Amino acid sequence: MPDVERLERTLEAKAATLPKERERFDTWWFLVLAVVGVVSLLVFVKPDPFLRIVLFLRDGIGVTVRITVISFAFILVVGLIGGLGRLAKNWLIHGIASLYVEIIRGIPLLVQLLFLYFAFPQVLDGVGAWLIKLSPSLHGAGQWLVDVKPDPFVMAVAGLTICYGAYMSEIYRAGIQSISKGQMEAARSLGMSYFQAMRYVILPQAVRVILPPVGNEFVALLKDSSLVSVVAVSDMTRRGREFMSSSFMSLETWTMVALLYLVMTLFASRVVAYIERKTAFAK
Amino acid sequence: MQNEIIVIQGAVKRFGRVEALRGVDLTVRRGEVVVIIGPSGSGKSTLLRCINHLESLDEGCIIVDGIPLTQAENINRVRAEVGIVFQQFNLFPHLTALENITLAQRVVRKRSREESERIAMELLKKVGIPEKAHAYPAQLSGGQQQRVAIARALAMQPKIMLFDEPTSALDPEMIKEVLDVMLALAKEGMTMVVVSHEMGFARAAADRIIFMDEGVIVEETTPELLFTAPKHERTKLFLSKILH
Ligand SMILES: Nc1ncnc2c1ncn2[C@@H]1O[C@H](COP(=O)(O)OP(=O)(O)OP(=O)(O)O)[C@@H](O)[C@H]1O
Ligand SMILES: [Mg+2]
Repeated sequence: MPDVERLERTLEAKAATLPKERERFDTWWFLVLAVVGVVSLLVFVKPDPFLRIVLFLRDGIGVTVRITVISFAFILVVGLIGGLGRLAKNWLIHGIASLYVEIIRGIPLLVQLLFLYFAFPQVLDGVGAWLIKLSPSLHGAGQWLVDVKPDPFVMAVAGLTICYGAYMSEIYRAGIQSISKGQMEAARSLGMSYFQAMRYVILPQAVRVILPPVGNEFVALLKDSSLVSVVAVSDMTRRGREFMSSSFMSLETWTMVALLYLVMTLFASRVVAYIERKTAFAK
Repeated sequence: MQNEIIVIQGAVKRFGRVEALRGVDLTVRRGEVVVIIGPSGSGKSTLLRCINHLESLDEGCIIVDGIPLTQAENINRVRAEVGIVFQQFNLFPHLTALENITLAQRVVRKRSREESERIAMELLKKVGIPEKAHAYPAQLSGGQQQRVAIARALAMQPKIMLFDEPTSALDPEMIKEVLDVMLALAKEGMTMVVVSHEMGFARAAADRIIFMDEGVIVEETTPELLFTAPKHERTKLFLSKILH
């Protein structure tokens, strides 16, 4: 895509002209070294139980990363659609988007996950039974709804996407609104359609505005993904619980889990800061 | 090809309770330069914005180059023929001057990168700043930004150019460089509707001057007659305010 290519060129040129952020850099290194140091120390000095814990958690780390990254990709898309919906002049689209955002923001993520995993299948059962009763021709579809079993991973991704998508909608909306109306008018007056103007003029500018809050959302999602452990996903937190219940070493287990989350969030926020620096441009 | 390129009949535009336009009739001929003057809030910007449908009329009609501005498909056709230059430039800050000029050529006119860049460079030469092709708007002076904005509109090869106070956000020493570009454009025979209180420009380029007040056209005259013999009291009062 040529515009992506052009954007990249623009960004590289800009990044070169920006001052380096020495101070934050140093604090970050200090923290990372400290945390990684503590983890290695524990593992080397007391391999039993700490090495065992790390090895036991290993699969969970992968699941946590995977669930976060996959969900986040969906969240970026859902947020964009939700944000544009909130800005739509059409009252129906605006209404649906607003309802979605307001409802989801008012319910705790944990409750949403529990509902999706434990209550939603019952809704499907009900709908399926109703379809079967309604007409024999719908029997297949109805039976499918009754039979379908929720996959924990899919439900976890869906839950995180629905919840964080609502927050992301608001971030997109604010970002798009922060771009002056004159930009849309200039683009439209050159004959661009609404979507062309969004794609080539408004969003490239809005993206730079929303990057810091979007980055925060990513880090928050990484931590909140620990909630999926209640819906039978073997993420790091759930693996920790499993280890603890077989070994009864609460202190050691949760110390290690906490340290590993810290390492992950530290790296995530570093990547976010790096992307922010790369995409900044002279105002 | 009829001679009248813009025909406005009974244009009314309301913003809630405010009537920005209260029945405007105006006809602009091909190649004509019309300058609109009038006090703040008289509806000058609204009129220009209605001509390329950044605002839609509540009553009346506007026909641009034989196309009535009613259906959505016509709006895009008309927009492609009408360039507009804003007081605040509205350049795209994330793109270089060159990219500002090539973007719409590529996505709307579907021109190749090479062709749109060639056209953009020609236009940058025409407005006198080819050396700024790779500068970002933030690195340009106000006058340079406005000249890029003019080039950006011209790249779509419009039949009509609208200017909404193109120099009133500029420092005095930059006004001339922008007016010179506009004068050259007028000499080439571009149809232009210009909202501006630059009387030097009006004298040099305008075929007609229109004085608007409170959403209507109060007086329509030539530059010579406006300064020597304004007909209406309101026009006289307004001229006495802006002429020093
Ligand atoms: N988007 C809008 N919403 C509400 N009212 C508006 C809007 N745009 C213009 N108006 C009102 O319409 C009237 C005409 O405004 P307009 O901008 O056309 O005046 P103008 O002659 O261009 O003034 P100026 O010389 O200050 O630019 C004013 O009373 C203004 O407050
Ligand atoms: Mg105005």
